[in-house]
Amino acid sequence: MPIAIGLEGSANKLGVGIILHPPHDTSDPPSPHDSAHSDDEAFPSRSKPHTSPPVQILANLRHTFVSPPGTGFLPKDTAAHHRRWVVRLVRQAMRQAKVRLEDIDCICYTKGPGMGAPLGSVAIAARLLSQLWDKPLVGVNHCVGHIEMGRAITGAENPVVLYVSGGNTQVIAYSAQRYRIFGEALDIAVGNCLDRFARFLNISNDPAPGYNIEQLAKTGSVLLELPYPVKGMDVSFSGILARVEEMAEKLEASNGSWLDPETNCPITKSDLCFTLQETVFAMLVEITERAMAHVGAAQVLIVGGVGCNERLQQMMGMMAQERGGSVYATDERFCIDNGIMIAHAGLLAHKMGFETRLEESTFTQRFRTDEVLVNWRD
Amino acid sequence: MTETTPVLKDRLPIPFNTSPEPFTLVAQGAESLLYKTTFLSPSQPAALKVRPVKKWRHPTLDKRLTRARILAEARVLVKLSGEGIATGSGGRKVKDPKKGDVGAGGMRGMVPAVLGLDWEQGWLVTDWIEGGTVKEAIYRASRSRAGTGVPGVGDDEARVEELTQLLRKMGEVVGKLHACGVVHGDLTTSNMMLRPHATQARSTSTSEGSLDGDLVLIDFGLATQSVSEEDRAVDLYVLERAFGSTHPREEDLFACVLEAYAQGEGSGMKGKAGKTVLRKLEDVRMRGRKKSMVG
Amino acid sequence: METIVLPHLPGQPLQVCLFANVQNAQFLRQQLLDGNANFEYAFLDAAVLLSRQHVLAACFRAINDMLQGRLKSKNVHSEIVFSLSPNNNISESFRRFGVSETTNHILAIKVGGDQAQVEEHLRQHVEGQMVAFTDGALAGMRDESRIRKAYKVDIASVQADAFIIGSMALKGS
Repeated sequence: MPIAIGLEGSANKLGVGIILHPPHDTSDPPSPHDSAHSDDEAFPSRSKPHTSPPVQILANLRHTFVSPPGTGFLPKDTAAHHRRWVVRLVRQAMRQAKVRLEDIDCICYTKGPGMGAPLGSVAIAARLLSQLWDKPLVGVNHCVGHIEMGRAITGAENPVVLYVSGGNTQVIAYSAQRYRIFGEALDIAVGNCLDRFARFLNISNDPAPGYNIEQLAKTGSVLLELPYPVKGMDVSFSGILARVEEMAEKLEASNGSWLDPETNCPITKSDLCFTLQETVFAMLVEITERAMAHVGAAQVLIVGGVGCNERLQQMMGMMAQERGGSVYATDERFCIDNGIMIAHAGLLAHKMGFETRLEESTFTQRFRTDEVLVNWRD
Repeated sequence: MTETTPVLKDRLPIPFNTSPEPFTLVAQGAESLLYKTTFLSPSQPAALKVRPVKKWRHPTLDKRLTRARILAEARVLVKLSGEGIATGSGGRKVKDPKKGDVGAGGMRGMVPAVLGLDWEQGWLVTDWIEGGTVKEAIYRASRSRAGTGVPGVGDDEARVEELTQLLRKMGEVVGKLHACGVVHGDLTTSNMMLRPHATQARSTSTSEGSLDGDLVLIDFGLATQSVSEEDRAVDLYVLERAFGSTHPREEDLFACVLEAYAQGEGSGMKGKAGKTVLRKLEDVRMRGRKKSMVG
Repeated sequence: METIVLPHLPGQPLQVCLFANVQNAQFLRQQLLDGNANFEYAFLDAAVLLSRQHVLAACFRAINDMLQGRLKSKNVHSEIVFSLSPNNNISESFRRFGVSETTNHILAIKVGGDQAQVEEHLRQHVEGQMVAFTDGALAGMRDESRIRKAYKVDIASVQADAFIIGSMALKGS
């Protein structure tokens, strides 16, 4: 039975996952055993049983490099973090999965896109394992990893995909063996926009800056006016970030004297977080809807770290419902960067005969989603 | 193409929600619904575009966007209808007479006329353009081309000639639009209508394969006022790609569109301006940011 | 005298009457200025009217704004006069499009009311010749230079209509 180990380290999360693809005749629903978090929740009830062969998650471990409030994660420190933890995580994953070395078919690693130094440290670890265990390497596109894992977990067969993270913002639809990018952020990624605003406000990076923005936004209620740069299916966020940062400065300087003209209540940090979220998520839902109308799709799948955001999921759900469709999203085990998605996508390619030779086992900061030949789909 | 889906009138904005007039849903996009109905007179057909409330969006933001978009579209259409005849200040005159030598007459009859709008309620009414889309016309022509088969070689030549004329007309109209300082933003053969000439309106409007008629651009929902060569080139690029995917059999004829665009027949983007845009178009193609990365 | 029901506005029928060679424009204007409740009309100077469509577009906008509670002027009748204007200056719109001492031809419009009663009342008080409200009649009454000045457009062009109606619709945006 095909089994793969996957190593992910394109940003500040180091992930190691081990996956098993049961033979085709299995019709049982997936039975993922995720052990990275003890507080396992059931899968979102929105998930429907899927028709593609279910997958078994034998291990899915993650360790996150958390930088102090007000700072981002620097490539050098992040790479060092990954080097420090990778052996421990691989060992633990192997123990947990209870697989023998000879059961493993391939070593999958993130080839890109992402930050150079962290990608490099994980690629080196993958090469080392490949030579040590004498197993083939499979370089995986990080975005394709997210998409395939999302499909496998939710059972969404042919959705329009919104991929939103700290490094990527893309609206994707499958066509003729490619994941084609219909729209994208032309400057910074939406997650980067949220993270940088969190840093600007000195909000904690633990467990994630975006998560803390989301919590603050829940108590905000005033919608201030931000730019709304949507062009067709493309968006941009740097202008919004600059504007909301100006607002934060004004708020700081105002000492509580900046009042909402309608309610006469003072504007708060929460209102700024609320404003930012409402604006950028509306843009994302809008371009996703346009792509759905364009390709005639009713399903939408949200992947990537920002995809954990419940407000985004809620807005997307309302949009999909208006169109007579549904939204599929995963919880933080899968939408946040993880090793299992790399193992999964890598194994799909490997079963089609794909392999990355040692001398080609490079990594790259730029690696477009539509460069990958998705020959495992019809 | 008109469907006969029953229209839920209570979903329409005031005052249409209580109207006894008939409504036919003609098109349903991501953010707007297009109905055929009447306006100002029971005998005057009109196109009603509604931007429904998006409940997933914050109501304040939703209102702001709906208002901005309804107004942007209406302003572009009114600007175009005043092109060459408006004498007032306030940017309604031809922006740059050197670049956009549109001359008297402007875009007459090439865009729908605004009859009414309500930016709070999110609707816009324009006059109804008779005829079918250019897409349908080319499909019909394509079918009869295929239908004639081998023996009808002469027919086929005539067809190609007719198609060429139509494509040239497309290039001219887009050239004029650009010369007026507007880029459409969503040029496709579905957003171009072929309106039968007044004289043929009754008899041959749907005659088999007729490619005759006046070309009218519709759906200015993504239009912007711009004279930038980059924006113009992207406008053409969007059309080129849409044409290629919609009419693969006719793709080789698309060069006619660009040729007519740059020749500026009917005083569009003639001379240097047109050539510059076509050069820019090559850059845009090369960049192919949106291009599928196959091969 | 004609009753026009605008599509989508069946509850607000228009009683419309076009008068040529009106002798008592000053009197009619005075009734409006005095706020005489018996003269709830829009009295338009027909010299600045381009077509039926031009007038009906103004009526639609005024009635719609009334239904939405957005009237900028006193009532729906003054709003019809205001709606003809391409800008937001209310008193200017009355000067340009409303009845004045020198007005020769008047289009009287009443929103609602009974046709027979309205006709009776107008016949009694407007000293002019009742003619059919047609594009042809309007063409014979209009003063092109005044229209050109009001809308800043060359009205010789066939598409002047579109530009004028569009400008009216966009007013206040």
